[in-house]
Amino acid sequence: MLSQDLNTILPEIVISLYAMGALLAAVYTVKDKAGPLLVWLTSGLFVAVAFWIGTTGEGATEAFSGMFQDDAFSRFAKVAILLSAAAVLLMSQEYMQKRDLLRFEYPLLIALAVVGMMMMVSAGDLMALYMGLELQSLALYVVASLRRDSVKSTEAGLKYFVLGALSSGLLLYGASLTYGFAGTTTFAGIIEATEDGVSLGLLFGLVFLSAGFAFKVSAAPFHMWTPDVYEGSPTPVTAFFATAPKIAAMALFARVVHDAFGNSISDWQQIVAFLSVVSMFLGAIAAIGQRDIKRLMAYSSIAHMGFALMGLAAGTAFGVQAMLVYLGIYVAMNIGTFAFILSMEKDGMPVTDIHALQMYSKREPLKAVAMLVLLFSLAGVPPMLGFFGKLYVLQAAYGAGLAWLAVAGVIASVIGAFYYLRIVYFMYFGEERDEALDTGSSPVLWAFLVGSAAVMVVGVVNLFGIEPLAEAASLALVN
Amino acid sequence: MSLFLIVALPFLGALLPGLMNSAGRQAVGGVTFTVSLAAFIGLLTNLPAILAGEVVQTGFNWFPQLGLNVTLMLDGLGFFFALLILGIGMLIIVYGRHYLAREDNMGEFFTYLLLFQGAMVGIVLSDNILLLLIFWELTSLSSFLLIGYWKHLEAGRQGARMALTVTGMGGLAMIGGMLILGNIAGSYDLSVILQNREAIQADPLYVPALLLILIGCFTKSAQFPFHFWLPHAMAAPTPVSAYLHSATMVKAGIFLMARMWPVLSGTPEWFYVVTTAGLITMVLGAVIALFKHDLKALLAFSTVSHLGLITMLLGTGTAFGAMVAVFHILNHATFKAALFMSAGIVDHETKTRDIRILGGLRHLMPITFVIATLGALSMAGIPLLNGFLSKEMMLKEMEKTYLFGPEWLVPALVTFGSLMSAAYCFRLIGHTFLGKKRDPESYPAKPHDPGPGLWLPPAILIVLVVAIGVAPFLAAPFVKLVTASVIGSVAEVPDYTIKIWHGVNTPLIMSIIAIVGGLIVLALFKPLLAVWDKTPRPEAKSIFDDIIAALLMWARWAIHPLHNGAFTRYAMIATIAILAAGYHAWTTGTVGEAVRAVQPIGWVEVAGWVMLAAATVGLASLHHNRLLALILIGIVGLMVSVGFVYLSAPDLAMTQITVEVVTIILLLLALNFLPNVTPEESPLWKRIRDVSVAAVGGLAAMALSYHYLLRDAVVAPISEFHLANSYKGGGGTNVVNVILVDFRGFDTYAEIIVLGIAALLIYALTETLLSGPVRARLLNRVPDKPLSGTQHPMMMVVLTRVMMPVVLMVGFYIFLRGHNEPGGGFIAGLVVSIGVVMQYMASGFAWAEDRQRFPYHGIIGAGVLIAGLTGIGSWFVGKPFMTTDFTYVRIPPFQEFELATALLFDLGVFLAVLGAVMLSLESFSRLARRAHIKDSDEPMDIDPSRDQAVPNTNPEGV
Repeated sequence: MLSQDLNTILPEIVISLYAMGALLAAVYTVKDKAGPLLVWLTSGLFVAVAFWIGTTGEGATEAFSGMFQDDAFSRFAKVAILLSAAAVLLMSQEYMQKRDLLRFEYPLLIALAVVGMMMMVSAGDLMALYMGLELQSLALYVVASLRRDSVKSTEAGLKYFVLGALSSGLLLYGASLTYGFAGTTTFAGIIEATEDGVSLGLLFGLVFLSAGFAFKVSAAPFHMWTPDVYEGSPTPVTAFFATAPKIAAMALFARVVHDAFGNSISDWQQIVAFLSVVSMFLGAIAAIGQRDIKRLMAYSSIAHMGFALMGLAAGTAFGVQAMLVYLGIYVAMNIGTFAFILSMEKDGMPVTDIHALQMYSKREPLKAVAMLVLLFSLAGVPPMLGFFGKLYVLQAAYGAGLAWLAVAGVIASVIGAFYYLRIVYFMYFGEERDEALDTGSSPVLWAFLVGSAAVMVVGVVNLFGIEPLAEAASLALVN
Repeated sequence: MSLFLIVALPFLGALLPGLMNSAGRQAVGGVTFTVSLAAFIGLLTNLPAILAGEVVQTGFNWFPQLGLNVTLMLDGLGFFFALLILGIGMLIIVYGRHYLAREDNMGEFFTYLLLFQGAMVGIVLSDNILLLLIFWELTSLSSFLLIGYWKHLEAGRQGARMALTVTGMGGLAMIGGMLILGNIAGSYDLSVILQNREAIQADPLYVPALLLILIGCFTKSAQFPFHFWLPHAMAAPTPVSAYLHSATMVKAGIFLMARMWPVLSGTPEWFYVVTTAGLITMVLGAVIALFKHDLKALLAFSTVSHLGLITMLLGTGTAFGAMVAVFHILNHATFKAALFMSAGIVDHETKTRDIRILGGLRHLMPITFVIATLGALSMAGIPLLNGFLSKEMMLKEMEKTYLFGPEWLVPALVTFGSLMSAAYCFRLIGHTFLGKKRDPESYPAKPHDPGPGLWLPPAILIVLVVAIGVAPFLAAPFVKLVTASVIGSVAEVPDYTIKIWHGVNTPLIMSIIAIVGGLIVLALFKPLLAVWDKTPRPEAKSIFDDIIAALLMWARWAIHPLHNGAFTRYAMIATIAILAAGYHAWTTGTVGEAVRAVQPIGWVEVAGWVMLAAATVGLASLHHNRLLALILIGIVGLMVSVGFVYLSAPDLAMTQITVEVVTIILLLLALNFLPNVTPEESPLWKRIRDVSVAAVGGLAAMALSYHYLLRDAVVAPISEFHLANSYKGGGGTNVVNVILVDFRGFDTYAEIIVLGIAALLIYALTETLLSGPVRARLLNRVPDKPLSGTQHPMMMVVLTRVMMPVVLMVGFYIFLRGHNEPGGGFIAGLVVSIGVVMQYMASGFAWAEDRQRFPYHGIIGAGVLIAGLTGIGSWFVGKPFMTTDFTYVRIPPFQEFELATALLFDLGVFLAVLGAVMLSLESFSRLARRAHIKDSDEPMDIDPSRDQAVPNTNPEGV
């Protein structure tokens, strides 16, 4: 029994052992000099584990009496998490090294955060959920304040920590209420307890759990930490925040509402729809006034989470599928966009002001085109991949009878398009300025930028076949 | 040819010009032309089927789940537009090849042009509306690239921005409309949607769908109030203007309205919105066009005006209106493209487009003159040219249209629009080409007719203009064919003969008024211009800029208060949001009846709660006086402990009270380091605001607990299991302790590890701090209050030392009884550490440190090890990790007592807690020592033995 259980969580064990072992090895030997090596090792491990999970996993297995679920849904999320984490790690190496930020703990903390995320998406129990969530969060709190000599970075870390702790508290409160009124912490048990409807106690549990999740996915009105943390953290860390943790938190949200509260969709549908619509509009409107591209991307991520939540709000298998496809596309876009942001520098110093991009197309035509494609994709303009993601969630919401949400989403995307197009405008038609950005960048960043842009264009053929995978994943969750 | 191939050819071909750029301009132009020609021929191969009234369809599944499939359809309307796009496209390619200068990158230009062409063909051939949407936005994208092609033009930038912003957003809005439409019809294929007129118009979402789609169409076709972007996009090279902004892209909106005509038109909403927008656009465009001095701007506004005219005709919702619209699309495309190209020729040859500088070009550029004049006259509606025919029909249609206000309003406005239209056409001819012969040197460049590469394409179009104008019967069957496919099964194609002479009727009179009026206006142009220049009028571009600026301001204004970086703000927003969510749950959830009675309240309880509340409020209001605040904190802690006692939770009470003591001691240590000033208080209103949010939050939490206290949980509480199994399974009657060391022993084990790590971390942090810059600051710190003379008061020293063994005894007792009575390793650990800490405080750090036998790290480690080994021990008897066992022993002279393995485990807990508390307290006090306290070597300030003259060799001896 135990060996079977351990076998199920072998991927998580491998990464944890690697992280702990590497930590010990590095701390007693070369310390920070091992940074670059560990970055490559960790990403390599991520890719290998992703490959392993992706190719060997099949069916649905439970471990530790249902506390841990290994099914198509969790595998989909895990592969996405691992691959995006690997990509962001690789992108960050040069940036961090140049600025003397590449502590050897950095890749290992990311590895631990990833283990936490893998735990989250596989959770079958409120306890397992919380454990994964905290493992992830604690690692991320540290990474957010990695740049210890910068006030902004430490402030970001502190804010993230305090607000994150607050949200964890809420989540725990919700979990304890749920436990109190369902008599069990397993999702399977909760769904049984709610067969005849949800009592007020459980409803409160659900509300507090949702508030906690909303914090983690940075959905408005629980998004307040996002802009400050995105702006303050070192850019590679911001890039990481914008990718893997989003998938993990959304997947966790989906798992809880479907696996544990799947009998009472109408109860949480309103909450999720509300979060969705507020996030979309807040993200769209708030980003308009931003000049700092990292802050802008923070609001953009809030808006995008709103769209992903729209898929979840549908409450159907197709909705979950739409959400997964949306997240996949979103992460691919963000990797490219952040590769670009990471390469924005002047005289070797990072620049985040969007006005620095004036007439960028003249100096770096190819990168400008790649960024153009990505921005159009982020805005959801056809025929870029981003449009397909939007179409998916809109269809899902509409099909589930949430026509108002779909129309609101369309309007929000129209507003949101403004600020993406503004950057395009700066790059192509801005005023010529003296303080131009440096040209040329590391081949890794270049490859990720151009590769991601290419994905946005080529992907329209068949979405790289993630559609059936997402469908299988959603069917594993909703039945 | 397959429809796929027709659409795909321009896209595939788009690669060629870019790749062949080095092969020379001739080759690039040639290959582009060939690609277009191939698509054109492919289109013509479908002509027989179209003429037979068939609809050519083909398709395959793309994303069937989304309803997005590649289905293409070719009917009369699609054929008509595709013909325009490809036909004019070829002419533009020839023209552009000769127009672009040597230094322009021709490969890039033609690549974009072919991309655009493909997207346009895609729009008109799409059967699936989502596919149409994709092509729709592709035209925005490629047109953006084309407009931006001449990056060096300052004016082009603003234009490109507006074009992109307006059309891009319009296209996104259309997604919503398309979704609604497709969902009502149950399919996203036009062939299905067009059959569902009744269902769609009856749907409650018809109006939103209509509006969203119209926003897309209006932005694309530059209809009022989105008309402003088009003239500003004219900074693009002339071939682009001619192709995009007259013949094709701006007609995409018109196309879509025509395509959707069978399902969307005929309702009052459609009629009022579309006709009104069209009418306003038509008149407004014509008026502005007259006063533009830039040739291309004039043409741009005239395009806006004519697009308005077509929109207006589609808006009427009659079959005749649709037919006129189709006819005018054809006519407008021919004469307007020709005019744009002529304007380009003038610009190319004279290096200026300013009408005021030009004039008299008739003699220098005769060919261009003929082309432009014929085009302009057609546009003005002069008989024997095609513009006349469609204009007469338009007047006939509008003459009987009633919109708002008096009945004559619409005909009058339309006539006025035509009049202005005639006027600017005459101005175009008169001020550019006519006039007296001038010296060629008086122009910015010496004008002469260009080579045939430039004049031939417009000339071909002008031939069409004249041909249709003279022999309308040539075009009539085609127009009717297209009209039939526009109106579908909704109405019959009107039986109307398109001919030049219908006798003297109202339209003719209106037309004559327009032309004569146009000539009069031209004659009065100078005074009119003076009036125009003086009239203040809203400038669309500045309005757009203002809107953008206002939007930015507004967005900042709305968002900044929410994200001002202050943590309190975030906490407040979160609290309010949670309160709202809780309220929502409360109101929508089902609230069961209370099943428990409220217990009576005695005076003791009331007194306790009052003290608790008073201490809390006092703490908030007396925070300036820290010592007082500390005492109040103590009261709060004490009352909470008493509360635990009252609620029969002695273990909690004991833990609480010991923790309370430790933390107060800690705070006392820290008090000295706080700055002299307390935080400034915010203004009263802010405090009131914050207090109210906090109070509501607190009351809500209270209400929630009150609610739960009166009701039973759904299932039996878990405590019953523990009560039932505590003695049986764990051998203890103190359930709390049994939970800690037995039921949840694994958790406790991890917790003591965490506790140990935390203590070590505190230690490590202090070490780092003390080796860093903080150390210097601490060393240089001058205490602002004089230190007390008696650092180690004798009374205290004596008292603590006397108490030490007592405390140890109490700790031991609590430890042992823990398994059955309130107590346990955790509390014992705290109690003992209090005893030890007292020694540090009373007798000084150095004195206490000297007597410390074991390092605290070691104590923590020992605790964890003992606990761990206890757990492992159960393996030896074949049980899982941490299975407990117990037995009863009697060691004389003690009474019989129970000895459980759990006790050993508890010992581990005890040690770990003791070590952790001591290590962290010690670390904190090290900071204090560095700061100012010169620790005396003496354990007591007053030592009786010191008075003796004999030097004491043993300072420790008391």
